[in-house]
Amino acid sequence: MSKTYSIGLAGSFTVDPLTRFLSKDLTAKEFKKPAFYVAPYNQLNQLSLNPENLLGAPTDILIVLLRIEDITPDPLDTVQTTTDIDGAISAIATLRENYKGTIIVSNLPYPSTPEFDVHDLEQPETGLALYQSYLSRWNEGLKNIQGLKHFNLAGLLNDEGHKNSHDARSWYLYKQPYSINFWKNISEQLTRIIAAQTIAAKKCIVLDCDNTLWGGIIGEDGLGGIEIGQDFPGKAFTDFQKYCLRLRNKGLFLAVASKNNEEDVFEVFDKHDALVLKRDHISSWQVHWNSKVDSLQAIADELNIGTDALVFVDDNPKEITEVQERLPEVECFLVPEELAYFPSLLQNTGLFDIAELTNEDKKRADMMMAETKRKGAATKMSEEEFRKSLELKIDIFEAEEQHIGRVTQLINKTNQFNVTTIRRTQDEIEALSADPNTLVMGMDIKDRFGEYGLVGVAIIQKENPDMWNIDSFMMSCRVLGRGAETSFLNKIAEAVQTKGGKILKGRYIETKKNGLVRTLFPDHNFTANADEWFCNIEDIKPAPEEVEITLRLSE
Amino acid sequence: MSDPLIALFADVLEVDAASLNDDSSPDTVEQWDSLAAMHLVAGIEEKFETQLSTKEIMKMSSIGLARTALKDKGIDV
Repeated sequence: MSKTYSIGLAGSFTVDPLTRFLSKDLTAKEFKKPAFYVAPYNQLNQLSLNPENLLGAPTDILIVLLRIEDITPDPLDTVQTTTDIDGAISAIATLRENYKGTIIVSNLPYPSTPEFDVHDLEQPETGLALYQSYLSRWNEGLKNIQGLKHFNLAGLLNDEGHKNSHDARSWYLYKQPYSINFWKNISEQLTRIIAAQTIAAKKCIVLDCDNTLWGGIIGEDGLGGIEIGQDFPGKAFTDFQKYCLRLRNKGLFLAVASKNNEEDVFEVFDKHDALVLKRDHISSWQVHWNSKVDSLQAIADELNIGTDALVFVDDNPKEITEVQERLPEVECFLVPEELAYFPSLLQNTGLFDIAELTNEDKKRADMMMAETKRKGAATKMSEEEFRKSLELKIDIFEAEEQHIGRVTQLINKTNQFNVTTIRRTQDEIEALSADPNTLVMGMDIKDRFGEYGLVGVAIIQKENPDMWNIDSFMMSCRVLGRGAETSFLNKIAEAVQTKGGKILKGRYIETKKNGLVRTLFPDHNFTANADEWFCNIEDIKPAPEEVEITLRLSE
Repeated sequence: MSDPLIALFADVLEVDAASLNDDSSPDTVEQWDSLAAMHLVAGIEEKFETQLSTKEIMKMSSIGLARTALKDKGIDV
């Protein structure tokens, strides 16, 4: 988020301490220093009706922190508390209607009142059971409100511990229940939520083999000698692999970079039952005796991602140092000497936070498998023949509610095939897609090997009755070389034509990564005027014939 | 030698130490709001390895009064 932005804070208690910590944490993540506006505490209803008024200014992000014991007089009174929780849920719903920006709302932490004292022996039947029913009521209620970002305050408090998180003195003096340390935790977590919306997350974990995926050295210890399985220390490697697999299922790539004989490594993957990761889970292999720097570069090339999207795990400090020196953008992790800490090495690093995981993400690594097969087909034919053999089907459409999550994600993480690299939040995209003078277009691609899903996004805005401006135009690099960009531009032109437009205008904003699209506009018959490109709709380069293209527009 | 208490207040309040003296209070220092007060408490507790009670915190309405409260606890500032 490069522009100036402001954050509103509200809570059922005093939330002022957050400003100091959030300001520090966000600027450390290379955000500009935000302006803060704090609502008077415990005024959720007034806030929901007129957020701007209560905060004192319009804001881009609003953070709401709530506790059960503040919003109801007696949390043991089930009837009253349930009513008050429902009231807070409907206030959040009203707030969502009245507030244009991003809303981050907390769940309800375990109450800190004496009735809920965890040392009370009757706790499991009374307080704990009550709390669980309140929390699930809250979660159910919020589920029905679209477009909220959720902050797991209850979980964070569990993790830190009740005693460590509270400061009774500041509660009585300032109506502020938490210790300075816990505010730091809250701030870190919120920063991750805010950053996950705009910062491109890491995309691939590159793993060494010996003493990283398993204990021991395959070339020396042999298949029977390496450590992996259910007994420690092998169990630590098993659990680490499980965590890697979990990340893969979230949509990350896994790759292997190992100095080894290829047949030794493949033997482990093919024959060792205890391995959690199978050969198909690995999207790119670099098993040879060349440097890890070369391997990382080759992996990034093969997967069509930048080296800055790589995370590297190795047990050899020399390899880590070399990579850090030559590819400082790669995030490196050394396998800890204490293997008990190894399985959690990549947890809570914030590196894999993605604002909204979409189905495409989850399928992405699987699709790479199909991609490897496609590449096999590509080498032997001309580009045209290749396209024909793929039986490409391209579907171009106006983005609707169900697409917004994926559209936002592409807008914020596409670096290479992206003409303007303008980033936007989900709320901004929603507003644009509702604007009659703006077309938010998506592109879905499939071929005979499988579905790519939503891989292209464009935003086109009416400048005057004749001319429409291509504000954003991007594609996932996985679909390059298929004429997709030409198909997309053609259908955009067609969509603009149905709205009465005659001319398309485009702009190329150069970044370090988007050299790929420098000539996109001239290649499609646009002509230059100053730093802008123009093209009459009928002059645009036609779409390839061998591709089946459809266009759907909303009413 | 700069005064450690003044230095701490200057650090937390993000003001020049030269602008502070024992008469400085929330009325004379704009940055000294209730949030800063919390940080001052945390800062004092850490630096002087002590625990402040709510009574003591409430008495600390100027740097001089904070000094008195700490001296009463046997801390030489």
